[in-house]
Amino acid sequence: MLIDVLSPAALDTALWTLLLYLILTIIAPPIFYIVSVLIAPKKPSRVKRMLFESGQTPIPTRVAPFPIEYFPYVIIYIAYAVFAVIAFIVVLDMLRAGESLIRGLLILAVITAGSIYASTQLPSLKQRLERGGGG
Amino acid sequence: MIDPVQAFVQLYSSMPPLIQELIRFIYSEPFIKAAIFPGALFSTLLGMFAVWFERKLFARVSLRIGPLHVGKVAGVLQLIADAIKFLSKERIIPEGVNRPLFVLMPCLALILSLLLYAFLPFGAGWIIYPSEIGLLLFFLVAALSPIPIVLAGYASRSKYPFIGMSRIALQLFGYEVPLFLALTGVVLSTRTLNLEKIVEAQAVVPLAVTQVLGFIVFIITLLAETERLPFDIPTAEGEIVFGWQTEYSGVYFLMIQLAMFEKVLAFCFLGAILYLGGWLGPPIPGLPESISAPFWIILKGLILFTFVALLRGAYPRLTIEKVLDLGWKYLIPLAFVNLIITAGISLISEYSAITLWP
Repeated sequence: MLIDVLSPAALDTALWTLLLYLILTIIAPPIFYIVSVLIAPKKPSRVKRMLFESGQTPIPTRVAPFPIEYFPYVIIYIAYAVFAVIAFIVVLDMLRAGESLIRGLLILAVITAGSIYASTQLPSLKQRLERGGGG
Repeated sequence: MIDPVQAFVQLYSSMPPLIQELIRFIYSEPFIKAAIFPGALFSTLLGMFAVWFERKLFARVSLRIGPLHVGKVAGVLQLIADAIKFLSKERIIPEGVNRPLFVLMPCLALILSLLLYAFLPFGAGWIIYPSEIGLLLFFLVAALSPIPIVLAGYASRSKYPFIGMSRIALQLFGYEVPLFLALTGVVLSTRTLNLEKIVEAQAVVPLAVTQVLGFIVFIITLLAETERLPFDIPTAEGEIVFGWQTEYSGVYFLMIQLAMFEKVLAFCFLGAILYLGGWLGPPIPGLPESISAPFWIILKGLILFTFVALLRGAYPRLTIEKVLDLGWKYLIPLAFVNLIITAGISLISEYSAITLWP
């Protein structure tokens, strides 16, 4: 009856447990919200709905400029993130085929040497900003 | 004298079949795992305990007393009082915000943080979803967790949240890569992505000993990923008010705070599993394995959390360029060195009879 509907025998026990937990996590925020609806007061006013600006009247301009001086890091991220994720995923396959591990180790050695060189030789960001652009 | 077991059996057989089914369902293994341990009840109680513990510890560090009055001993019920207070506050949605995003993002953050516990084993068999790719699944969910934060900052359409949002985007860009590289070292030396097997592989020596560099990188990225001091520039209080959470109040703020603490704790338990030997520990006399295993892992996780909480009292906040310099210029090379040492040792043990670690 109920148990047949709630836990079909075809479904894996682990998957069923995950599904139950997922349901429990998804109903957690609505429970908080409903309790808040039940016990919180509701007296809206214009002052309460103003954006926070340390006590000043908010200025309509609401978007600050994105700090562009850190943009190079985003570019480096694209290259490095791809490498890190690939390394994480293929490392087990590389172990199975021993020869490719040696090649992988070679690539890794080159990148490691490059990173260490870059970190010792590049001036810190603050110095670079003070010098005004360039590397 | 009535035998309680017999009385229960009699009561059970006299109930209507629907109630009997319900009792059997509540007593079933999936429900106990999902709802009690290590599921919803455990993670929520742990989150509340952690907030109380951190406040008490931080108060001691700064020579204060901390929560004291609510509850008989040391203000243990303070957090319940705080939760009720947050819930009974008016729900204010400021003018000009993106309403659907503003309301939904705290909920999504809480769901994603709680979902991390589905893949963490708290003892052999004490896991909600055992999987061969458990570590990958954990990071699938963990990698999604910045999205509600960035969108919440965007949805606020206000100055301080916007600054906090751009800071957290840069910070997470910088620390995702060393985290993945440190974990690649773990996967390489244990040869599995299954978290239970990673723990079993540490039966002789915990990985914190054999991969010291990886452990250091993991701890620092843990602090940065979960916005703990000294890496809390996205919510720097006293500097940009409260960063990306500035416009949130009441129930939304409660959800965000709970989500952040659940995330820190999940990462602390992951650290205990990956590097400190998980549930392996000396057996406790008089306690069966199924109880002593969760005890050890909770103890190790809380020791890591204590370390994380103590840093809040010990270090000042780093500036954004120092955070980025640390991530890109020191942690990535360190993680690479750790990976290359691990790979070299794996290669040697692959081609020779010597096994340096099991």
